[in-house]
Amino acid sequence: MTPIETAVVLGVIAVGTYVARALPILVLAGRVLPVPLQLALRNVGPAVMAALIVVSVSTGAAAPGIQVVEVVAIVVAGIVARWRRNLIWATSAGLMALWIGLWLQ
Amino acid sequence: MRQLLIYRRLDNAIDRSALREGLPLFVPAVPFGLVIGVAAMASQMPAPGGWLTSVVIFGGASQLATVTLAGAASMWAVILAALVINSRHLMYSAALSATFARQPTWFRALGPFVLIDQVFALMDTKTHLEPAQFRRYYLTIGLFFYLTWILVVSIGMMLGPVIPVSWRLDVAPALMFTGLVVVALDRSPAVCAAVVGGGVAYLGINLPERLGILAGAVAGVTAGGVAEMVKLRRGIQ
Repeated sequence: MTPIETAVVLGVIAVGTYVARALPILVLAGRVLPVPLQLALRNVGPAVMAALIVVSVSTGAAAPGIQVVEVVAIVVAGIVARWRRNLIWATSAGLMALWIGLWLQ
Repeated sequence: MRQLLIYRRLDNAIDRSALREGLPLFVPAVPFGLVIGVAAMASQMPAPGGWLTSVVIFGGASQLATVTLAGAASMWAVILAALVINSRHLMYSAALSATFARQPTWFRALGPFVLIDQVFALMDTKTHLEPAQFRRYYLTIGLFFYLTWILVVSIGMMLGPVIPVSWRLDVAPALMFTGLVVVALDRSPAVCAAVVGGGVAYLGINLPERLGILAGAVAGVTAGGVAEMVKLRRGIQ
């Protein structure tokens, strides 16, 4: 990615993010968002993150295609996140599973 | 004497209760910031650009998506992915709009820049405060998160080149996204959004410029919205 592309990417994301954070405060002044929009926005996180996980694992840096050790690491991270409801525990457990898997290979 | 005066003014401007209540929310974000720093150094985006994501975007998941996808996806796909992730901030802003209506214009314009998840979680419980008190609390917590976040990401960027490639920290962002998704799966529409989002992204793996992410995101958000609507109607009937 060239410096100019980087500047465009950062500039547009920065402005777009500010607009998302500021627009209702500057415009709504206490009125509420339309119900369908509120309902759609509620689950943006799970939808986008799930898509990111799938694509980042299947087009990983180490090798193209889905690798078993990476899937195992993600499953372990998911189980621990469900159990402890803690991001640090989940990521640490996932990395441990990944390293054990790589060592066993 | 002059220094003492500056110190006193600064002390008066800072709300110590905001720091006390904000610190427990910031600590879990530290490893996330470190991973973003490490990912920024591995990114195809120039390192200063990776660092600037903290300064100008200031949103963990969207920063991670930006540095991870940079160079691998088209410029517009990176932008859209980050903006879709940050679109949830519309809800935070809408929820606080009535409280902000009592604030001066400069604060209504500048304050939203630091309206991240943690700041919203704290401020949503402080809407009863007097406007001046609310503003002091908000600015203290917002600037605290902003400055410490930049520091943590910078430390991650310094650590990045030192960590051996064999540690496979390139997988860490996916693990972190997994944690974020699973913690958010507390209701059936969220599960529906995640399953559809992940499934459609998988079907679109071979799409150019990693457009599978956007296809998955749009499908997942739509499915989640429909599930919310169905749940709402069933609840009413």
